[in-house]
Amino acid sequence: MRAVDFGELAWESDGMQIVAPTDLGIRSGERMVIFGPNGAGKSTLLRLIAGVIGERSGEDVAYLPQRPFMFRGSGRRNLLMGLAGEESNRAEVLAKRLGVSNLLGTPAARLSGGERQRLALARTLASGRSLVALDEPLAAIGAKDRDNVIAVAGDAIGERTAVVVTHDRDIAVAFADRVALMVDGAVRSVGPPQEIFLDPANQDVAHLLGHQNVMVGTVVKQDGPLVQVSCSGLMVWALGEQAAGSEVRVTFGADAVTLHTVSSATATEGQDSARNHWLGSVRSLGDVGRLIEVVVDVGQPVAALITEGSMAGMGITVDDKVALSVKATAARAVTSAKQ
Amino acid sequence: MEFLGEVLGDAFRYVFEFGPELRTILALTLIVAGLATAIGVLVGVPFGVWLGLSRFRGRGLVLALVNTGMGIPPVLAGLLLLILLWNDGVLGSWDALFTPGAMIGAQALLAFPIAAGVTAGAVRNLSGDAVEQLAALNVSASRRSWIAAREVWPGIAAAVAAAFGRVIAEVGAVLVVGGNIEGETRVLTTAIVQEARQSNLGAALGLGLVLLAVALIVNLALTWAQLRGEPAA
Repeated sequence: MRAVDFGELAWESDGMQIVAPTDLGIRSGERMVIFGPNGAGKSTLLRLIAGVIGERSGEDVAYLPQRPFMFRGSGRRNLLMGLAGEESNRAEVLAKRLGVSNLLGTPAARLSGGERQRLALARTLASGRSLVALDEPLAAIGAKDRDNVIAVAGDAIGERTAVVVTHDRDIAVAFADRVALMVDGAVRSVGPPQEIFLDPANQDVAHLLGHQNVMVGTVVKQDGPLVQVSCSGLMVWALGEQAAGSEVRVTFGADAVTLHTVSSATATEGQDSARNHWLGSVRSLGDVGRLIEVVVDVGQPVAALITEGSMAGMGITVDDKVALSVKATAARAVTSAKQ
Repeated sequence: MEFLGEVLGDAFRYVFEFGPELRTILALTLIVAGLATAIGVLVGVPFGVWLGLSRFRGRGLVLALVNTGMGIPPVLAGLLLLILLWNDGVLGSWDALFTPGAMIGAQALLAFPIAAGVTAGAVRNLSGDAVEQLAALNVSASRRSWIAAREVWPGIAAAVAAAFGRVIAEVGAVLVVGGNIEGETRVLTTAIVQEARQSNLGAALGLGLVLLAVALIVNLALTWAQLRGEPAA
């Protein structure tokens, strides 16, 4: 696949140097999430790509700033600003899908932060430009509307290239084909979310998030606040409200996984409150700081964090059969933006 | 007290008589100041928006020059134009000296930096979020300037008011290039000088009251326009 060429870009401000995003190697049609803590330089990198700072023209970029500004006049004036023809029709449809079509007659000055963000998102997504750059697109949007907004954005981006900045793990997991982890102005690593969020060698990620398990799957059924997700045959219960058949990604921390020897697992089956019980064999043991990361193959790799004391007490070594349990409430199903 | 009452009485009599001399002076004042403001604003406001939005090397110098222009003594502006329009001057062939045209030109020179400077200041006060959003919009440069101008509309109304206030109140420039010729180039301010010099204090004060009234009416209109432009919320 053709790489998106940003040319040579660099920026330095307040002593922080932003690396050239050519390092990202974004591929045409790819959805790249720039992920990292506040102050890492994510927004600056996106603004360089969008051409609002630096030398790049940015004329191929539909850019949503972190705090979208509403100009004088109605919501509609702001929605359609800079759009033409078919783009305007698309913007009206997107405004409707994002739940702000009833606000188009309202003076933009009266709109709330969330309403502004949706309106600006509709305008940005409606643009026909080939690269979509979104800076914290869900920052002002409530938890219950996130799945819808992510789905609408995913549809509207379509086959275009997208770069999304977020510090929210769930949004990163939902959007990303690949994640670029950014710390202190530099991109530390780039890869699929499953790898970036669960990389024993990646102390940055571990420090930021704790180690995260990420699985891709399809919702099989709903049960109250939970959904059962089939991840390549592995059944996982997680918090979620998606309908059966929805494509989702399930995340849970490696610290939420309890490890049992097989005999003790058999003894406690059905008696503890965990909904997820899986059997597998230990694939690797890794030292991560003061803890041990045990990766268990249960049809796919799942990481668990345990103390050295626990490891010694259980006598775990590579290839041992073990059982894992995870409370469904510790796992979350997020709607995948790319269906 | 008796003297003051006498002057006031003369002044009001002069105004309410509204004789042909006053009518001619008032009409010429409105035409000259109005056209000069219009020219200064039509050139100065777009220049100010551009100056407020653009980033280039030397922008600080241009801003400083504009701000200096805002404070240039009117008599000096008039003198510069006088030199240009002098018979042997660069524009001597225009034969424009001591005509209303020259007065409009001199006052437009005064109005331009005020319109540009106040507008540029308003645009530079746009929030960083607004500037970034402007840069992100898929619009032409002229459309972007128009959106910015509309956003700072009260600031532009203030620029118009300041430019008009500057030209209607000044005496130096119109006196130097107009010559204060009765019935031809005499405006309210130069007429005040004339009447005061001839000890017609009542008429001078009357002319002053008319000047104040004109300024008040124009500023009322601009303030109304300014307030209308404020967001309803």
